[in-house]
Amino acid sequence: MKPPVFDYQDPASVEEAVDVLARHGAAAKVLAGGQSLVPLLNLRLARPEVVVDINRIDALDYLTEESGWLRVGARVRQRRLEREGDVRRTVPLLAEAVRFVGHPQIRNRGTVCGSLAHADPAAELPAAAVAVGARLVAHSRSGIREIPAEEFFTGPLTTALRPDELLVEARFPCTGPDWGWAFLEVSNRHGDYALCGVAAGVRARDGRVQDARLAYAGAGPVPVRLRQAEVALVEHADLEEGIRAAAAEARRVLRPDGDLHASSEFRRHLAAVLTARALRLAWSRASTCSGGAHA
Amino acid sequence: MTTRWLGAPIKRNEDPRLLVGQGLFVDDVQLPGMLHAVVLRSPHAHARILRIDVRRALEHPDVLLVLTHADLPPSLREPLPKLIPHPDLKHHKTQYTLAPDKVRHVGEPVAFVVATSRYAAEDAAELIEVDYEPLPAVVDLEDAAAGRPALVHEDIGTNVAAHSVQRVGDYEAARARADLVLARRFVVDRGCASPMETRGVVAQWDPRARQLTVWDSTQAPIPIRNGLAALFGLAQKDVRVIAPDVGGGFGPKIMMFYPEEVLVPLAAMRLGRPVKWIEDRREHFVATNHERTQIHHAEIALDREGHILGVRTVFLHDAGAYIPYGLIVPIVAECTLPGPYRIPNYHAEFRAVFTNKTIVSPYRGAGRPHGVFVMERLLDLAARELGMDRAEIRRRNFIQPHEFPYDVGLIYQDNAPLVYDSGNYPAALERALEAVDYPRWPEEKARYRAQGRRVGLGFACYVEGSGIGPYEGCRVTVEPSGKVYVATGVGTQGQGHFTSLAQVVAEALGVDVRDVHVVTGDTGAFGWGTGTFASRAAVVAGSAVHLAAQAVRQKALQVAASLLEASPEDLELADGQVRVRGAPSRSVSLGEVARAANPLRGVIPSEWEGPGLEATRYFAPPRGTFSHGVHAALVEVDPETATLRFLRYVVVHDCGTILNPLILDGQIHGGVAQGIGGSFFERLVYDDSGQLLSGSFMDFHIPTAVEIPEIEVIHQETPSPLNPIGAKGAGEGGVIPVPALVAQAIEDALDDLELEILRMPLHPDALFELIQKATRRGS
Amino acid sequence: MRIEGTETLHAPRDRVWALLDDPQALASCTPGMQELRPTGPDEFEAVLSIGIAAVRGTYKGKLRITERTPPERYAVQVEGTSGAGFVRAVGVLELEDQGAQTGVRWSGEVQVGGALTLGSRMIPGIARMLAGQFFQCLDRKLQEGSP
Repeated sequence: MKPPVFDYQDPASVEEAVDVLARHGAAAKVLAGGQSLVPLLNLRLARPEVVVDINRIDALDYLTEESGWLRVGARVRQRRLEREGDVRRTVPLLAEAVRFVGHPQIRNRGTVCGSLAHADPAAELPAAAVAVGARLVAHSRSGIREIPAEEFFTGPLTTALRPDELLVEARFPCTGPDWGWAFLEVSNRHGDYALCGVAAGVRARDGRVQDARLAYAGAGPVPVRLRQAEVALVEHADLEEGIRAAAAEARRVLRPDGDLHASSEFRRHLAAVLTARALRLAWSRASTCSGGAHA
Repeated sequence: MTTRWLGAPIKRNEDPRLLVGQGLFVDDVQLPGMLHAVVLRSPHAHARILRIDVRRALEHPDVLLVLTHADLPPSLREPLPKLIPHPDLKHHKTQYTLAPDKVRHVGEPVAFVVATSRYAAEDAAELIEVDYEPLPAVVDLEDAAAGRPALVHEDIGTNVAAHSVQRVGDYEAARARADLVLARRFVVDRGCASPMETRGVVAQWDPRARQLTVWDSTQAPIPIRNGLAALFGLAQKDVRVIAPDVGGGFGPKIMMFYPEEVLVPLAAMRLGRPVKWIEDRREHFVATNHERTQIHHAEIALDREGHILGVRTVFLHDAGAYIPYGLIVPIVAECTLPGPYRIPNYHAEFRAVFTNKTIVSPYRGAGRPHGVFVMERLLDLAARELGMDRAEIRRRNFIQPHEFPYDVGLIYQDNAPLVYDSGNYPAALERALEAVDYPRWPEEKARYRAQGRRVGLGFACYVEGSGIGPYEGCRVTVEPSGKVYVATGVGTQGQGHFTSLAQVVAEALGVDVRDVHVVTGDTGAFGWGTGTFASRAAVVAGSAVHLAAQAVRQKALQVAASLLEASPEDLELADGQVRVRGAPSRSVSLGEVARAANPLRGVIPSEWEGPGLEATRYFAPPRGTFSHGVHAALVEVDPETATLRFLRYVVVHDCGTILNPLILDGQIHGGVAQGIGGSFFERLVYDDSGQLLSGSFMDFHIPTAVEIPEIEVIHQETPSPLNPIGAKGAGEGGVIPVPALVAQAIEDALDDLELEILRMPLHPDALFELIQKATRRGS
Repeated sequence: MRIEGTETLHAPRDRVWALLDDPQALASCTPGMQELRPTGPDEFEAVLSIGIAAVRGTYKGKLRITERTPPERYAVQVEGTSGAGFVRAVGVLELEDQGAQTGVRWSGEVQVGGALTLGSRMIPGIARMLAGQFFQCLDRKLQEGSP
C-alpha cells in the first residue's frame, strides 16, 4: 500500500493552482484533506501524474457569512462546521450532517469542499448541499463559475467540475425564518458511510408545513433531492398524513443499488423510515423556532 | 507483614514504555543496508498459473531479487510442514511457499520481490506478468462438501479433508425415548481477528558467524526457530527468533509457516543484507488466517421436564484452501458444545472441507463460540417449546459442584480425555441473573415497551478449555543488583505477561514487582517452549515461573542462612531482603545473597546445586483446565432500522486463581468487544467468484467505543487442582458466549415476532430480512 | 454483480446493428478505449483507460464477441488487468425494432478482483454511467448520419 510515483506541486495561490491544473488536466488531482485521495493513492486505485496540494493556499481558508450565504473556502476542515457556533445558527443542517462524517480525526483533516468534490454517493455533505441548495464555485484560468449543487453531482465520484477547474468555495444559503432542519442516517457503526441518510427541512407557519426539502445519501448514484416527497408533505393539511405520504413517496421513487451491507429493498425501507423521523424532528425544530441542530 | 503481589490489581510494568512509543515492534527494527520485500499475490480465488514472466521486474533499477516457485531451493518447493496431524485428517494439504502451478485463494503468494524500498518493490511487483486461467471458485461450504463446482485439490478427488466422529452413550436410543426432539440448521460465518499490528518479519544473516536472526510477529517463536533450522540446514543454536512487542495475536499469528516467515530469511541469506517485510492491511485481510465458518445440523432430545437426554450435531467445517493447522478448530467446537451441562448421550460428527478461501486456523474462541452458539440456542428453543423459563432449563441440566472432576467422555484437542477439573456453574448463573435482576425482568421489559422501546435480555453460559500442555519452562535469575530476571519461551502479544508473570516471582521472592524483568519470546534468552495459544500462558508458563521462583527462594534461604548464621526455617523474604523472622535488623539484601552465591574464591557447597541465585523449571500439565462463565446483557433493538444498542453488559467469570484482576478485566473487556464485533459488525463477505468484498476497514466494521457498552465484571474463583498456582486460562472467555447471547437478546426484545436466530454474525440487513419475514408470517 | 438497463437509440434497427457490427465504431464509443487490435475472428486485444475521476486505471486485456445474431442480439466478453486488479465482464445487447428507433435492452455481469473489490459498492453505479456514455455516443453517431 504505497502509491506509485507522482509529481507533487504545492502552489501558494489559486492562480498558480489553476495554472497547474490547466497544464495537466485530467492527469492532475487536487489534494486538500487527503481523507479519500490518500487511501486511493496507497491502494493504487488513483494514479494521477501530478498531485496538486492546495494546503499552502491561505486565501482559501475562510468560513464567513455574507449577505445571506455561508461561504466555505476550499481549505476549511469539516471540524470547523461543528466547532464554530455560528454554523449551527446559519446553516443548521450542515452543522448536524457533518457530525456523521467519519470520526473527529477524519474531520480534523478532511475539508468540506473536498468531500463535495469527491462526490461519494453515500456521503453526508453532498446530500446536505443538495437539500439546502448550495452553490459550488469553480475557478479556472478562463474564469469563475457557480454550479448549483443539484447540477454538480453527475455520477458516483463524478462532478460537473472540468479537469482544469478548482472547487474554491461552497456557498450555503442561510436558513430562513420558520425553517427547521434535521439530518439522520443509519449506519451499522457511527462514522461509516450511510446505508441511507436523509437531510430534511421544513418551513412551518400557522401550524402547517409551507415548504420542505428532502435529500438522500446512499440512495442512488448521486445525492437525490425528492421533490415528489416534498410536495406530498406540503399538500397534506394533516402533518402525520403528510409525513406518511412523503415516506411512501421515498420508498416508491428511490432505486438504490444493493451492496454487501444493505439490499436495495432495505435501503428503500430505511429511506422511508428516516424520511418520517427526519421530518418529525425538523418539524419540531421549525415549530419551536429553534430552527436547527441541537448539540 | 509482607506485601501480597499475587492477585493484586497492579498497573502493568510494560505500559510506561509502550505508551510513550518506546515499544519494539517488528517494523521498529531498522538495520543498516536493510532491503524491503513485497509479495505478489493471486487476485484469483482459483486459477491455473500458465506463465510467470519476471523480466521487467528484474530490470527495475532498485530491485535486487525476484523469486517465484521455480527459484526456490528444493526444500522450499515442497508444501510447508504439516503442523498438527490427526488420524482422521486423511488429506493434510498444506500451503506452498510460492504457488507452483495453481492458486487456491485470493492472496496466495505467487512471487516475492526485494528492492531498496517498499515503494520500488511495489512498483516492480506490478511489472511481473502472470497469465492465469481462472477456474470455477469453490465458495459455498455445502457445495464444496459435495465437490461442487470444482475440486480445490484435484489429486485427492474430493474437497473433504477429514471426517471425524465422537460418541458418548447412545444418542439414537436417547432420542427414541425423548418427549421433545428439536432440530435446526445453524450457521456461523467467517470472521477474522484484525490485530492492530499486522504480521511482519525482518531477517538478518551473518555470513561469518553463519547465524540467522529473525524478528517475527509470531505467537510461537521457538517452533519457528526449530522449523527454520530444519529448512535451512542450520543448528537450532545458530537461529535466533525474536518475537518482540507484538500488537495483538488472537491466534492467527501462530503458524508454521506463513510463507513470508520462510521467504524473508531466504532472501536475507541469498543477498547477505537484512530484509524487512511488513504485511499491509489489504494483504492481512486475505493472507492472514481466518476462522469461523461452520454449518451445524444439530438436534436436542429432552424429557418433558427439560432434562437433556442427548444432543447430536453433524457439521461442516470450512478449512479454507489448505489445512496446515489440522482439526483443532472443529474438535474444539464439538468439545465445547456440551458446555456446563450434563449430556449423557452425545454424537458429534464433522467434515472438514476445502474451499477457495483464506486458510482457517484458530482465532480467539477457536471453535468455542460455535459450540456455545449451537448448544445455547438449542436450549433457548427447547425452553420456548416446553413453555419453560430459559434460566430454569439451564439449572436443571448443570453439572453440580460436587461432580468434579467431570468426564465429558470426549477426546479434546490435546488428545487427552475431556475432563473438567473444577468449577461452580450454578453459582455463576445465579450471580449473573442477580446482577441484571432477572426475576424482575418481565416488569422492566414491559416498562420499556410502554415507552415504545424494544429491549431484550440475553444471557449465555460456557465452559472454556484452556491451559493445555505439553509444557513451558522458565529461568529465574537474581542478579547482584537485586533485580530479578525472568526468561520464558512463551511470546507475549499484549496480555500483560511482563506484569502477571513478574507478580508470581515477586510473590515468591518478596521483591517489588517493578524489580522483576520478564523476557518473553526471544529464543536467545530461553529456547524451550511451544507458544502462546489456547489461553495457556498464565496457566502453563505461569506455573513454570512459580516453580522456578520457588526453587530460587529455597536457594536464597539456603545461602542467606549461612550468611546470617541462622537456620533457613527462621528466615523470611520481604522487601528485597532475607531476614531473620522477628529480628529484622539481622538481614541481607537479595542482591548480596546473589553475590554470595557466586563467589570468586572458596567453595560452593554441593547442596547449592551450582552457583548463582538461579533456577530453571518446567511445567507439564497432565491435561487442560476448564474456566467457565456467564454473560448477560440488555440489548435495545430498533426494529425499524434493524440496528442494536447494548444498554448493559455483565460478565461473571471464573478462571481459577486470579493473578491480576486489572489485567483480567482488560482481557475480558477486549474479548467482549471482539465478540460483539463478531456478532453484529464484522463480516467477511465473499462474492460467487471467491473475491473478498469486505477487505478493508471501510467495509469490515470493527466496533468502536461508541458501540461497545461499559462492561461489568464479576469475578468468581474456583482454583484448578491441576497446577501449583490454581490458575485457569482467561484469554477467550470474553468472546465465546457473545453470539449466543446476542441472538437470545434480540429474540427477547422482539418476542412478539417469534424470531429464530440461527445464524451469526447478524448485521442490520440480515436482521431486517428476519423481521420482514416474521412480520409477513404474522400478518 | 449484475446490472441491466434499457435505452432508446434514434435510428432503425438495421442501422444500429451495422454500427454495432463495426469494431472500430464500437471502439470509438467505448469509454476509455485506447487501442483495439484484432487478433483473430471476433477477437481483439484492447487497451482501455477506464474509471472515473481519480479512480482510473489502464487495463490491458482481451475483447471477444461471443454471440452475434443479426440484427437482434450481440454479446461480448471483456477481460482486462491493471495494477489495481482485474475486470471481467460479459455484456449482452438485445435490439428491439421500434420503427424509426430501436430499443436496447442491455445487461452485464461484472466481476472484479484485486484492490477494485474495495470499491464494489460503487461498481453498479459506475458501470451504468459508463454504459450511458456508450449509448449516448452511439446515438450521436447514428444521428450524425453515416452508420
